[in-house]
Amino acid sequence: MEKIFKEAIENEAILATRRHFLNTLGTGIGSLALGSALWNCQTSSKPQNSAFKIPPHFGKAKSVIFLHMAGAPSQLELFDYKPVLAKFDGKECPKELIEGKKFAFIRGIPNLLGPKAKFAQHGKSGHWISDHMPHLATQSDKITFLKGMYTDQFNHAPAQLLMHTGSARLGRPSLGSWVSYGLGSENENLPGFMVLASGGKNPDAGKSAWGSGFLPSVYQGVQCRSAGEPVLFIQNPEGVNTDIRKASIDAINSVNEETFKEFGDPETVARIAQYEMAYKMQSSVPEVMDISKEPEYIHQLYGTKPGEEAFANNCLLARKMVEQGVRFVQLFDWGWDSHGTSKSGSVDYGLHQKCLETDRAISALLIDLEQRGLLDETLVVWGGEFGRTPMQENREGKTLDYFGRDHHTDAFTMWLAGGGIKPGFSFGETDELGYATVNGKTSIYDLQATILHCLGFNHEEFTFPFQGRNFRLTDVYGKVIKPILA
Amino acid sequence: MILLDAGPSDWVLFFGHFHPILVHLPIGMLVLAFIMYFFSKEQNEGLRQKSISAIFLWASLFAFISCAMGWALSQTGEYDEDTLFFHQWLGISTGVISAILSYMAKFWSDEKTMMKLFKPVLWVSLILITITGHLGGNLTHGSDYLTAYLPQPIRAWVGMEARAEAAEGGAIIPKIDNIQQAIVYQQLVQPVLKQKCWSCHNAEKQKGKLRMDTPEFLMAGGEDGVIIKAGMPLESEMIKRLLMDASEEHHMPPKGKTPMTEDEIAVLQWWVQHGADFKKKVVAMPADAKIKTILAKYASGTSATEPYWSPVFKMSISEADEDDIASLRKLGLLVNQAAKDQAFLEVNAVNAHGLSDKELSELSSVQDQIVRLKLGQTKLTDNFMSQISDMPLLIQLDLDHTIVSDKGLSALENLKYLESLNLYGTKVSDAGLMSLAKIKSLQRVYLWQTKVTEAGVAKLKKMRPGLLVDFGFKGKWPLEIDTVKVEEKAK
Repeated sequence: MEKIFKEAIENEAILATRRHFLNTLGTGIGSLALGSALWNCQTSSKPQNSAFKIPPHFGKAKSVIFLHMAGAPSQLELFDYKPVLAKFDGKECPKELIEGKKFAFIRGIPNLLGPKAKFAQHGKSGHWISDHMPHLATQSDKITFLKGMYTDQFNHAPAQLLMHTGSARLGRPSLGSWVSYGLGSENENLPGFMVLASGGKNPDAGKSAWGSGFLPSVYQGVQCRSAGEPVLFIQNPEGVNTDIRKASIDAINSVNEETFKEFGDPETVARIAQYEMAYKMQSSVPEVMDISKEPEYIHQLYGTKPGEEAFANNCLLARKMVEQGVRFVQLFDWGWDSHGTSKSGSVDYGLHQKCLETDRAISALLIDLEQRGLLDETLVVWGGEFGRTPMQENREGKTLDYFGRDHHTDAFTMWLAGGGIKPGFSFGETDELGYATVNGKTSIYDLQATILHCLGFNHEEFTFPFQGRNFRLTDVYGKVIKPILA
Repeated sequence: MILLDAGPSDWVLFFGHFHPILVHLPIGMLVLAFIMYFFSKEQNEGLRQKSISAIFLWASLFAFISCAMGWALSQTGEYDEDTLFFHQWLGISTGVISAILSYMAKFWSDEKTMMKLFKPVLWVSLILITITGHLGGNLTHGSDYLTAYLPQPIRAWVGMEARAEAAEGGAIIPKIDNIQQAIVYQQLVQPVLKQKCWSCHNAEKQKGKLRMDTPEFLMAGGEDGVIIKAGMPLESEMIKRLLMDASEEHHMPPKGKTPMTEDEIAVLQWWVQHGADFKKKVVAMPADAKIKTILAKYASGTSATEPYWSPVFKMSISEADEDDIASLRKLGLLVNQAAKDQAFLEVNAVNAHGLSDKELSELSSVQDQIVRLKLGQTKLTDNFMSQISDMPLLIQLDLDHTIVSDKGLSALENLKYLESLNLYGTKVSDAGLMSLAKIKSLQRVYLWQTKVTEAGVAKLKKMRPGLLVDFGFKGKWPLEIDTVKVEEKAK
C-alpha cells in the first residue's frame, strides 16, 4: 500500500515539469494579489492559468509608451501658440496674474516673454506646431493635445512623482506598475514594465518614478540601459555556464518555495518569479535590446545610431518592446529645464537642441507603430511634469543672459496618440497669454484616469489594499477626459 | 415682503415630492378591485362584495391623500396649468367615485336594480384613473415620453413625424452638409436645448417658471427674469449657469442630467454674442478660430462625443468552454476574455510563433467568441483562412509576417464585423485588395512590405473612400530642415 502511494507521488512529480511548476508559481502571483485584495491578509496559492489578466471593460489600448521630457518643455515654444503674448513681449507681467503666486525662481515683477519660435498650422487637424518640431508637424493628424493641463507641484521631483505615481510624496506605485499589475505581460519572457532613460541623468524623482510602491515588487519597472549591457549583471559571470546558472536558480527557488509554504509571504513568490524572469531575460533582453539588426531604412527613419546612448535609440527600443508584448514602456529624456541660465538651458537655442534630438525619433515612433498596425493598440503619451511661465525668468531679480522661463503649474500642454484616443483633436485652452487654462482644464489625475480607461480600467475601482485601506492611483481625484476618447 | 416672495414652504414641497410615489397605491388598488370583480372565482358573493368594498375604501383614502400631496407639488408652479387642471379634477373625481363604489359594494349588494349601476361606474373609475395617470405622466416626463421611441413603421402608419436619425456616436447635431447656410438657432442651438434643457423647461413642466421650447419663451425668461441678453453672453443667466463649475448649485444642467459639452456651450455663447437671432445663418455671424473648428466638426459629422464601439460588444453570446481554452493555452496561445464578465475572447500568438495550421485549427472550439486574433509571425497558410472566415465576430485580425496571399484573402469577405486587418509583411498583392474592398465593415488595413503597389492602394482607396490604408512610410527623411545648422537658426 505504502509503495503504491509513493509511486503515485513520484509519478506526479515527474508529470509536473519545471515549466509547470514555475508557470503556476509565477502566474499565481496575480491570484495572490487578487486573493489579498479580496480577503485582505489571506493569500491564495491557487494558480491562475495565465499571467495575463482581464480588464473590467474592453480596452482599446493594449500597451503604453510614456515619453517623459523631464525638466518640463516649454509649451509656449512648441504647441500653445500665443500671438498676443508676442505682442506684449518685454512688457511687465500684469500684477493680478502673479499676486499671491509662488514660483520656483521668479521674484518681483517679471517681464512677459513672447514665443521664441515660429508657429504654423499643420494637417487637417490644424494643430499649431512650432518649427522646433518639423517632423512631428507632419504627424499632426495622429495626435491629440491636452492644452489645459495643470498640476500643483512646481519642483521637478515631486511633480514627476505626481505624474507617475499620483502622489507628490514617495511610496506609491507608479502608473506602469499599476498597469502591469492589472494586465500582466503578454510576453512570457519579458517584464511587463520596462524603463529607458536617455542617459546622462536619471529623472529627479529617481527610481521611485517607476517603483512598485506597495504593489508586489515584480511589478516595478525594469530599467534598461541603452548603451552597453542593457540590464546590469544579466549575463552569466565568468566561469558560470547556462546549466549551472539554471541549476542554481532552481535550487534558490525551491528554497524560496519552502519559505513561502512556511510563511505565506507573497513577496517570496515575487522573488521566485523575479529569478525565473531574470533567467528568461538572459536571452530575451539582449535580443529585444539589440537595434543593430534593424534595417537601414529604420535607422534612417528614427535617426538612430546603434551603440549610442540616445533618446532616438530608446524610441526604437520602445517600438520593439511593444511589438514583443511589453505592456508599459517608460522613456525618460532630460535637459528640458529651460530657465535661461545657460545657452543649453534657453528656450530658443537649448530647447531647439532638445527638439532636434527627439523630434524625428518621436515622429518616427508614431509612423513605425502605425505601419506595423500597432498604433491603434498602443497609447503614446508625451509631456513634461509641468509647464513654463509666459514670463521670462528673472532669477534673483536679475535679467538673465539667455531667454528662459520658470516652472509653471497653471497651464501646460501634453499630447496623446494611438490606442483609444481621437486622432487630430485638441482639448483645453489657455488664456491669451498662456498663463492659465480657461476651459478644458485637466489635472494629472484626469490624465492618469484616461490612460487607465484606455487600457480597460475604471480608475475608481482599480485599487489595492494597503495599511488598512484601499489605495488607487488617482487617490480620490480624477475624471476620464471623455471628449478625447475615440 | 420676503415671506411673500419666498414661495411655498419646504414642508409643502417635501410632502409634495411624495405625490409621484403615493399615487401608485390607489391605482393598484383600483385595478385589483376591478380584477376581483370580474375574474374572482369566489363562490361566496357576500365575502367578495365585502372585500371589494374594503379595497375601494382604501383606494379612495389613498387617492385623497395623493390629491393633497399633488396639490402641494403643484405649488412649485412648474407645471402646465391646463394639464394640471384636468389632472387635479380627474384625480379628485377618482377618489370620489372610489368612495361611491365602496359604499355601493357594501350597502347595496342586495339591491339588484342598484347593482346594475355598479358595473358601469366601475368602468368609469378605471377610465378615470387611466386618464389621470396619463396626464400625471405627461406632467412629469413630457407628453412625448411614451411615444419617443415608437418604432418607425408604426410612426408612418399613425402619421407621426419620423424620429430624427441618431447621428453617429450619439451626436445631438447630425451632420450638416452646407454649414455656411445653416440657420444657427434652428440647426445648432435648438437641438442642444431640446436634448439638454427641454425636459425641465417645456410646455408641461417649467422649472424656475422657465420655458425654453419656443423662441418667445426662451427670450421671455423665468422667475428670475430674462436668461438671454443679446450680445452679452457673460451677462446672460443661461450662459452663466452653463459655464459655472459643475459643483455649484446653480450649474445647469443640474447634477444627474447629461452635461453640455464644451463645444455646445461655445456655440450657444457664440450665438448669444452675435445677437441671439433666430433667423441668422452661420455665414452671417463672424466666427473665430475656435468656432470654425467646431463648425468644421459639425460639417464633417464628427461632433460625436461618445466613443465608437463595435456593434459586436452589444451582443450577448455564450461562453467558451473552459477546457477548450485551457487546451489552447497549452499550445502557448494567450487566450483571454476581452473584458470581465464578457464571453468575447482575445487570442494572441506572441509567445507561440511556431504554430502552424494544424495546431491553430484547435481555435475552432472558440470560433464564436473570438473578437481579436493576433497570429502575426506564425506559420499559418492560406488554407487556414477558411477557418478564420468561420469566426463571425472577428473585429481585429493580425496576420503580419505570415505567408498569407491573395488566395486566402477571399475567404475573409464574409466577416461582417472585421474592422482592422494587418497584412504587413505578407505575400498579398493588388489582386487581393479587391477582396478587402468587399469587407464592408473594414476601417483599417495595413499593407506595408507586401507586393501591393501604389496603384493598387489608390484603386482600393477609390473603391472604399473611408478606409485607412497604411502602406508604410513613404516620406524622405531626414527632412530638409534637419540639415539647417542649429546655430544659424538660433540667431
